[in-house]
Amino acid sequence: MRNDLIPALDPAPVPGPPALLVVLWIVTFFLHLLAVNAALGGALFSVLLPPSMPGASRRAVAAFFAEINSWALSLAITFAIAPLLFMQVLYGRFFYTASVLVAPVWLGLLLLLMLAYYLNWIAKFRLRAGKGATAALAFSATCSLAIAAIQTSVHLISVQPALWSAFLGRPSLVLGDPTFVPRLLHFVLAAVAMAAVLPAAFPGSLADAAPGAARFGLFTALVLTGAQFAVGLWLLLALPRAVLSGLMTGGVANLAPLALGILVGLALLGLLVRAVGAPGNVRLARVALGHFAAAALFMIVTRHQVRDLYLAGARATERLVVAPQWSVLALFLAVFVLCAGLSVWALFRAATDRPGPGEAAA
Amino acid sequence: MDYPIWDLAVGGGVLIGTIAILHVVVSHFAVGGGLVMAWAETSLGRRPDPALRALLKRASLMLILVSTVFGAISGVAIWFTIGLVHPAATSALIHSFVWGWAIEWAFFLLEVVTALAWYATWDRVRPRTHRLLIVLYAFAAYMSLVIIQGILGFMLTPGRWLETRGFWDGFLNPTYLPGIVFRTGVCLLLAGTYLMLAALREKDRAARTRLAGLLGRVMTVGVAVAAAGLFWWKAALPPDVAANFLGDKPLIASLGTGWRHLFIALAASAVLALLAALLPRTVRWPQAVLALVAAFGLLGGYERIREGARKPFIVRGYMFSNGILVSEVAALNREGVLSKARWAAYDAGDDSVSKGRAVFRAECASCHTLDGYLSIRKRTASADADFLTLFLTALRDDGAKWTASPPQKADYPFMPPFVGTEDEIRWLVAYLDSLKSPAAVKTAEATRAQ
Repeated sequence: MRNDLIPALDPAPVPGPPALLVVLWIVTFFLHLLAVNAALGGALFSVLLPPSMPGASRRAVAAFFAEINSWALSLAITFAIAPLLFMQVLYGRFFYTASVLVAPVWLGLLLLLMLAYYLNWIAKFRLRAGKGATAALAFSATCSLAIAAIQTSVHLISVQPALWSAFLGRPSLVLGDPTFVPRLLHFVLAAVAMAAVLPAAFPGSLADAAPGAARFGLFTALVLTGAQFAVGLWLLLALPRAVLSGLMTGGVANLAPLALGILVGLALLGLLVRAVGAPGNVRLARVALGHFAAAALFMIVTRHQVRDLYLAGARATERLVVAPQWSVLALFLAVFVLCAGLSVWALFRAATDRPGPGEAAA
Repeated sequence: MDYPIWDLAVGGGVLIGTIAILHVVVSHFAVGGGLVMAWAETSLGRRPDPALRALLKRASLMLILVSTVFGAISGVAIWFTIGLVHPAATSALIHSFVWGWAIEWAFFLLEVVTALAWYATWDRVRPRTHRLLIVLYAFAAYMSLVIIQGILGFMLTPGRWLETRGFWDGFLNPTYLPGIVFRTGVCLLLAGTYLMLAALREKDRAARTRLAGLLGRVMTVGVAVAAAGLFWWKAALPPDVAANFLGDKPLIASLGTGWRHLFIALAASAVLALLAALLPRTVRWPQAVLALVAAFGLLGGYERIREGARKPFIVRGYMFSNGILVSEVAALNREGVLSKARWAAYDAGDDSVSKGRAVFRAECASCHTLDGYLSIRKRTASADADFLTLFLTALRDDGAKWTASPPQKADYPFMPPFVGTEDEIRWLVAYLDSLKSPAAVKTAEATRAQ
């Protein structure tokens, strides 16, 4: 057990208030996670549809997710960039070290990502042509699962510098970390549960397949959300003792995000029970989606707290020098608001603008 | 330097270069494609042209499949790779330019959303809305180029940043504007050549000729702008960089050759563009493919020269290519490089060869591999221990020259100085000497294993 392999802090000052960097990191990671949940969860859900469902319905649901995923994967990639950027300013020395220790795998993640994306497009075009696309979707989902496992591994290595000397020769040891499986499972189950509600929340393009897909989706979401409580507890108990006690004894502020996440989860469970009984209730399904998003946000904050608790010892002597670049920071916030606003406006126009009678389309 | 070292047989530089070349080609196409397609679709509003519309529609799928995904992922791949090969440098760049990158990301978000929406709304929305989408895309894509050029230019010509450490001083560096002009030209050239290739699928001969002429003019404008940017860029380089690497007798021969190839690619692009603009009826696919290859050569050649001319730095005047800061040379000469390179020294034994291997990994492995790219075994095969000691001592003396104010001319201006103690020179020589004898290497490895 040694912490003397931790690289020194970067000599350059942190170019913005650390609290702001953390907020930006959490907000952008939240948006990334929503897109990831749709993409990973949707791909897995399409593959795991029950054989009892008619073939045409299964293809309709798969097409539904393939269309969503061509957007969701692009947005997941785009929204992954910003949190990685902000995280590297504050935790770069831990992150870089972890990624170098598993360098080929870390770089391989990008190949898997590209494969997942292009397989989804292949599935999309095949389904549009009325053909089956189970194999393409299954490969795409497998790639996404592998990416999730790689991310989990790098995260776990990065927060445990005392184990770096052990990981140096055998990075695969991380797979034996007691939190690896529950952490990955917690994330994957949440993704599938959230995606499973989408057919009930947006049944428009599913036509005849909508009722069956909504019923099965809501039932799946209910079962998986129930299972999340067990997996979440498993993850909590698997945390190192110091981390768990830090989380539990750190006061109200420390426990609030986790407690709120659990409360939202319980409310979600209630909503899903009602929704399963009324699979045609679109509004209820959309409210459930909102709860999924809220639960994800609280869990992201908790994840951030847990990371800090893991690294508390390693960062005990850390003295960050902060020299905010105010002018360019303000410019970023302005450009971000502008671009986010224009993006929303562009999507709205694309969804609503239609040629009038006698008018030609583009 | 105080990070773990990724032993890569092909060399980190080669991997970064390979990914970077792929990325820059795609990303420049994405920017140029946006500009050309926005202009073309706007012109459709004034003068309908079914052939041009069909071409744009076909190209829109290519734009999202290649640009928004391959472009995005390969861009992240460069970032990942430099993080693996040069973590300290990545950290330095992130600390200096995180808000610049964040601005680029915001534009990229708009770029992705509008590209997807533009592709998805053919035959669905009114022409005005569709035009707005591609114009927004072109704006966002071009702005991402405007931002990233500041950081790319900074690494070669950090300008006043070296004294002030100010964001804008680094961003608006001496090669910033020339670089933008060059890249804008290349973007237009690449988009024109790709669209030319796609336009040749048009069955109607008159329409095909019309499209070829139009795209030939786009390519010609692109070549002219790129040429202007290239000469301006060369003129903006610090005199010592231009003289050392791009002069009559360049220190790195491949850069001199590369500079000549760059001009050949530029001339070929110009000839092919003019031919297409003036004689569009003669354009056939071999000519279009050749134009595309020449455009790749122009951009790839430029990136190779730009990266090569930065030697021996990652950020000129601030950080050497092995991650050692100019500011820490004197301290590490006193305390030894292994006092900082804890990962390199981590599994080193007590014998000279093992410690020399650690010094090699700390200082040399970012450029030299054992037997692959820039093989150190081949380079030192004919040098005896005395020669190696003399050479490393001279390289160590260069440290004082690099750190003098103003810097003096180093004896080996294409290599970072050797940084470390006399003992570390001795250990490195012992290691390099051991490479000549497989038995000695085995012994050293056995010692390490114990």
